[in-house]
Amino acid sequence: MTLQLAANVVVLACIYALVSVGYVLVYRVSRVLNLAHGELMMAGAYFLVGSSGLFNHDPVIGIGMAVLMGLLMGIVVYLALMRWMTGKSVLAAVLVTIALGILLRGLVVLVFTAQQFYPAAALGWNNAPVPLPGGVRVSMASATLVVITIAIYIALFLFLRFTRIGIQMRAAGQNPLLAAQRGIRLHAIYAFAWGLSTFTASIAGILLALDSGVDGQMATIGLKAFPAALVGGLDSFIGACIGALIVATAEIAAIQYVNPLLSDVVPFVVLLIVLAVRPWGLFGSREQLDRV
Amino acid sequence: MLTLRGKLAAATILAACCPLSAQAQDAYVVGVTAAMTGPAAGTQAPVIEGMKVYIDRLNAKGGINGHQVKILIEDDQAEPSKAAANGTKLMRQDGAMIFVNSSLSSTYGPNIAESKRANVPIWFAGAVCPKEASPPANPLIFCSTGFDFSYDIPAGIDYIAKDSKNAKVGLIGMPIPISRIGIDAAEVQAKKLGLTPVDKEFIAPSTADYTPFATKLNAAAPDWSFAYGTWVTEIKTFEAMRRLGWTGKYLTYGHIQAEDDLARLKDDKLTVFTTNAMFRDELPVHKEIREAMAQAKIAYPATQTAEGWLSGMVLEAVLKKAGWPATPEKILAAMESLNLDTQGLRGGPLVWTKENHFRTKQYYRFYRWDSAKQSIARIDDWISVDVK
Repeated sequence: MTLQLAANVVVLACIYALVSVGYVLVYRVSRVLNLAHGELMMAGAYFLVGSSGLFNHDPVIGIGMAVLMGLLMGIVVYLALMRWMTGKSVLAAVLVTIALGILLRGLVVLVFTAQQFYPAAALGWNNAPVPLPGGVRVSMASATLVVITIAIYIALFLFLRFTRIGIQMRAAGQNPLLAAQRGIRLHAIYAFAWGLSTFTASIAGILLALDSGVDGQMATIGLKAFPAALVGGLDSFIGACIGALIVATAEIAAIQYVNPLLSDVVPFVVLLIVLAVRPWGLFGSREQLDRV
Repeated sequence: MLTLRGKLAAATILAACCPLSAQAQDAYVVGVTAAMTGPAAGTQAPVIEGMKVYIDRLNAKGGINGHQVKILIEDDQAEPSKAAANGTKLMRQDGAMIFVNSSLSSTYGPNIAESKRANVPIWFAGAVCPKEASPPANPLIFCSTGFDFSYDIPAGIDYIAKDSKNAKVGLIGMPIPISRIGIDAAEVQAKKLGLTPVDKEFIAPSTADYTPFATKLNAAAPDWSFAYGTWVTEIKTFEAMRRLGWTGKYLTYGHIQAEDDLARLKDDKLTVFTTNAMFRDELPVHKEIREAMAQAKIAYPATQTAEGWLSGMVLEAVLKKAGWPATPEKILAAMESLNLDTQGLRGGPLVWTKENHFRTKQYYRFYRWDSAKQSIARIDDWISVDVK
């Protein structure tokens, strides 16, 4: 039982961590709080619904296409919308992301209707339980999500630290003016950051859809992951990871030991407590908060 | 007092301002507020789509009593403020003679109030029945929706008690009023019938992972689990429990998506009870619905539109009886004496009386997947419950 609870915490933390990494990526590089992130995650899941039907129900091609479209979606969003917000107030950019979220919710219903889809069944993907030591069980999709989340965090760490584009992304985030003067193409870097953000969000959406289906309400999971990003600090990847772990632990403890009705409230209670004590988050920097 | 010239001017202004009211004279105007998008759309939108297909077919055949039926559908996204605005527009501006609500219960208050002000009958189709439709009914409130917790819960718990005496039961609901009241009532009913409720979970619709709830339920080792909420919560909890290795039996109310998911999951111990006959029964009316939906090319599976089709049948019967020219008063009188042959979609006729705007009898059928036959099997034929 205890081991199963620990496994549940790890799975939920990985869901939140995989979603919140997108919030951090965009904020850290372009200073924009992307409040459409949950909807972009949902769009990724719907790409899978579309691609699973289009490519003869081949799981590799279907998932691959959905992930690729997720990456392109972020680049398109930046080029079509967010690019034009350069030089405008941060609030205006945030409002644009809210509008984008509303638009995406509407588009999803128009294109796919409001019904529940199960792309795993369409792809012939068996979401069987994976038995682990100690009698612990997690679904195949959840196990994959944990592995992919860890892989993405490691890959992002290496990418940002050791690659040329990664270093440029960090530079653009720290001082865009100086970065531009040094020849860094800011719009290209921002577009890439948005693409990476929706890439990770789409992977989260795809894995959640493979686990338990997708409907228009998936976007609310993005909202639940938001406290994880804020608790950890909006400009910190390690913070997003730790924040996700704290929020997930609190949520599962509430379900198990207090009252399951509190599960929706607990992430925001944790957020309030952390913001009261440390408004810039556990691993965020004070300077970044001032910029918000 | 107005002069003749003044009266003419007033009449001209009125005619110019109210073009839709003028149109209303040529057709039966039906106003609908429904959750066509938003959190409840998965359950509500197919109902309205199904009803619209039914009415479109009627119109193509010449309408009712020689007049077309004009359905004005407004999306309220299950938000009370939008439903209120829709109700006011449809009843006051558009001249709806009958007002249909197919949305969440949170939208009912403002719509019922507006229906009373406008003196237009309000009919809940596909949305949970308000208690005011049951005897002694509010004069203006009617309901044709299949499910109603006050009858569903005893029917479900009785079934479990008959199947397994002294069974341990896990209860699953959602933090929304109808589900909470229903599951609390289920707990009382279970104890009364000698069952032992071992856990009760209310699961929020925004839950990212159902496993933590399933872990807690499984730890209580129930022989049966009983769920009453939205279909997504009911079925996702079941799937999560199974993934954790639970092998017990699961009973849940079969909403419009139930038939598709029984076939998807293929689990012999997943039982659903429902008030509408499933398409596996292959009634002539099911064939008709399938053909109509295919012809109309609606995006939802035909299996999810039976409730909407039945709503169309109700509307046809009411308007036919109200005659022409129709007024809200005539429609109300027709509704108070509805006796609809449901053609097997329900266990018997749908009867409304002056005192009872819900139905005089409620019927249930139980279905599950049968692995041996590789198809959905009907476990029990119609069980009828008197509505008092």
